[in-house]
Amino acid sequence: MAKSGDKKRGPIATALGRVPRWVYLTAALVLAVLFPLLHSAGLMDMLWIRVAIRSLTFVLLALGLNVVMGETGLLNLGYVAFFAIGAYTTALLSSPSLGFHWSFWPLLVLSMVFAMLAGLLVGLPTLRLRGDYLAIVTLAFGEIVRTVFLNVTSITNGAAGIPAIYTPNIFGWVVTEPPQFYYLILFFVVVVVIALTNVKNSRVGRAWNALREDEIAAIHSGIDATRAKILAMVISAGVAGLAGCLFAYYQSFINPTYFLFMQSVIVVCMVVLGGMGSIPGAVIGAIVLDSLPDVIRATFSDWLPRVFGPTFMASWPAWLQSFFTDFEKYRLLLFGIVVVLVVIFRPEGLLPDTLWRSETHEEDPREQEYTRQTLFDIDEGNQDLEA
Amino acid sequence: MSFEQVFSLTVSGVTVGMIYALIALGYTMVYGVLEFINFAHGEVFTFGGIMAAVVLGWTGVSDAMPIWLRVVCLGGALVAAVLATVGLGLAIERLAYRPLRGRSRIIPLLAAIGVSITLQQLMILVFGPDSIIVPPSVVPAQFVTLFGSRIRVLAFIIIGVSLLLMLGLTYIVRSTRIGKAMRATSQDIEAAQMMGIETNHVIAFTFAVGSGLAAVGGLLVTMYYGSIRFDSGYIYGLKAFTAAVLGGIGNIPGAVVGSLILGLAETYGVGLNLGLLMWFFVAGLAAGLYFQLVRAPKRRLKHIREEDRTPAYEREIMRLYLLAPVYAVRVALAKRTDALMAVSARHALQLTLGNVFLAVMAIVFFLNGHAQIDPQWQNVIAFAVMMIILLFRPSGLLGEHSQEKV
Repeated sequence: MAKSGDKKRGPIATALGRVPRWVYLTAALVLAVLFPLLHSAGLMDMLWIRVAIRSLTFVLLALGLNVVMGETGLLNLGYVAFFAIGAYTTALLSSPSLGFHWSFWPLLVLSMVFAMLAGLLVGLPTLRLRGDYLAIVTLAFGEIVRTVFLNVTSITNGAAGIPAIYTPNIFGWVVTEPPQFYYLILFFVVVVVIALTNVKNSRVGRAWNALREDEIAAIHSGIDATRAKILAMVISAGVAGLAGCLFAYYQSFINPTYFLFMQSVIVVCMVVLGGMGSIPGAVIGAIVLDSLPDVIRATFSDWLPRVFGPTFMASWPAWLQSFFTDFEKYRLLLFGIVVVLVVIFRPEGLLPDTLWRSETHEEDPREQEYTRQTLFDIDEGNQDLEA
Repeated sequence: MSFEQVFSLTVSGVTVGMIYALIALGYTMVYGVLEFINFAHGEVFTFGGIMAAVVLGWTGVSDAMPIWLRVVCLGGALVAAVLATVGLGLAIERLAYRPLRGRSRIIPLLAAIGVSITLQQLMILVFGPDSIIVPPSVVPAQFVTLFGSRIRVLAFIIIGVSLLLMLGLTYIVRSTRIGKAMRATSQDIEAAQMMGIETNHVIAFTFAVGSGLAAVGGLLVTMYYGSIRFDSGYIYGLKAFTAAVLGGIGNIPGAVVGSLILGLAETYGVGLNLGLLMWFFVAGLAAGLYFQLVRAPKRRLKHIREEDRTPAYEREIMRLYLLAPVYAVRVALAKRTDALMAVSARHALQLTLGNVFLAVMAIVFFLNGHAQIDPQWQNVIAFAVMMIILLFRPSGLLGEHSQEKV
């Protein structure tokens, strides 16, 4: 797959591009597995394990949203609803509030199934809508789901939420400590990455990409658009349900404020930053955006004072000091600005998907030709034009 | 449920609807010209309201002032809010949206979402996270008694001001040069450009007008409820968008009609008891059954090919709409199907499902006749209305059936 884009890149990017992909993957995996050992060795606060767990949950969400938004080009602004459905399924069936105590695997499956059913429910009627209408309908769906969880107090306990969710017991392995949860979630992240990569490289994935690039051409190449879109919706909802299940177990307490519209928007920001349609992009985007505020705060209130002495910021103006030490306040502002800048200046994201890059920079006809060939000439065996 | 109650609910429904309309016009005009949802419009509205409240605070209006001075303060606040908001709208358009013109649909929408968060967070930083309260003396708390119900004078002011603005807008769009340019641009932006229309100016003008209307809406909301907060625009924007979609997005009278329907649906929904609301479903069911049994088959009959046009076949189609589920099963099981039959069976099944839904709702409401809907579900009513409209008539009530541009 020699790309003509190579000559436009700088020398460093070219050199990095020559390293085989498996080297990066192995390195990332090894780093991720070794990460909690820093805490065991006393080099790192437990806080960072919690940050990592939160980031990994967002990684799952970004991976799932990437399926609809990045691969298929359908904007889903109510994605957190599926997350909420998964979390509430787990919380209700594994806590004293309704008196159920289901075990981990059935609940995991059930959370996914319920989220997928919700995805089907939203997808079936709405996917024929134009892209921007779909965004608003999914947004409304997200708000409806949250309002239902908030107001059906007899089951969900309303705003007070569901406390005391049992800890998961996986074949005798009782997961209680954050490092254990970290490995549990990491395991599922790896599983989801592998699964989604395979789907992406399959017929289904190419159908999604084709729909994103040019729906009419895709339909006339014999792709059943509605089926492919619903499949994307259901799969992405399933990933969110999985994330919700793990989130509920980890938090051991959930209430509707975890599932605000802003959460959906944050996940959208992550996918956009990482690069729509790119699986490594979704992972990196989620990790960067989620941990950046914590990293900035820690850099200026903890790490730099250790290096330069505790008073190195004393000569700075007060607003600048508080800007860095209270960075949490500016988190959403950062997200908003990042999205606008990325969309304007680098719409393909940090780690772009090959095909999407060819769409966003239209100056290179050869790359476009590559897109056409990969996407639209694959269906020669299937002349079913009725779809 | 007395007539007075229904009347006062109607007035407050129309008031809320008019405010939605002021915001919805901004959505619908921008959509008409650019085919893009200006997601940040809700924040533009909030900014207008906050600016008005802040300026009113600066002027220090109080009961001690004579009435003309209070009116002057209010006018000053209005002008300041409108100017600031128009500036904001123009800046957003220039900085965030113009660089993205011509990209695929999803990209400008993402930028709009980013702008929306950014504005919301900036408003928290600048004006604080708490509600900004308008000095109560600015808001005339007088009531008039009309048909036996007490109604705030402000409600009539809101309705009057909104009507005036809408008439003005209609004049601009229908009878001025720039209005003509707007209509041309919304029909076909490239052709308009080739005819010598400065489309960039037209688009900027559209944003300016939309933002100005939103600022007036913000001021009115602030006066009506006495306070405004950085996140007020989220829900107002969403509902106004719902209203715009309901009326047919891109359609200016549609936005007003949709807003009124939405405002009334919301206030009736939580104000009336279910026994009265049942009649809405009964009316809907009657209309639905009429459509399914009379209109739809008639339309279908026009599609029969000349050589197939036999009385037996026509009767078959009529029966199909009457007994939709039976035919749906029959068509699904049949090895070879007539295309018209298959399409009609699917259509009839959809209609039947819709009517069954309406009937079930009517029965549920009848059985719980004395209960009322909790006001907390008010937003759900609006969103449900939107989802239903988008599913069954995505072009809205007044919109034309439009094919997606290729």
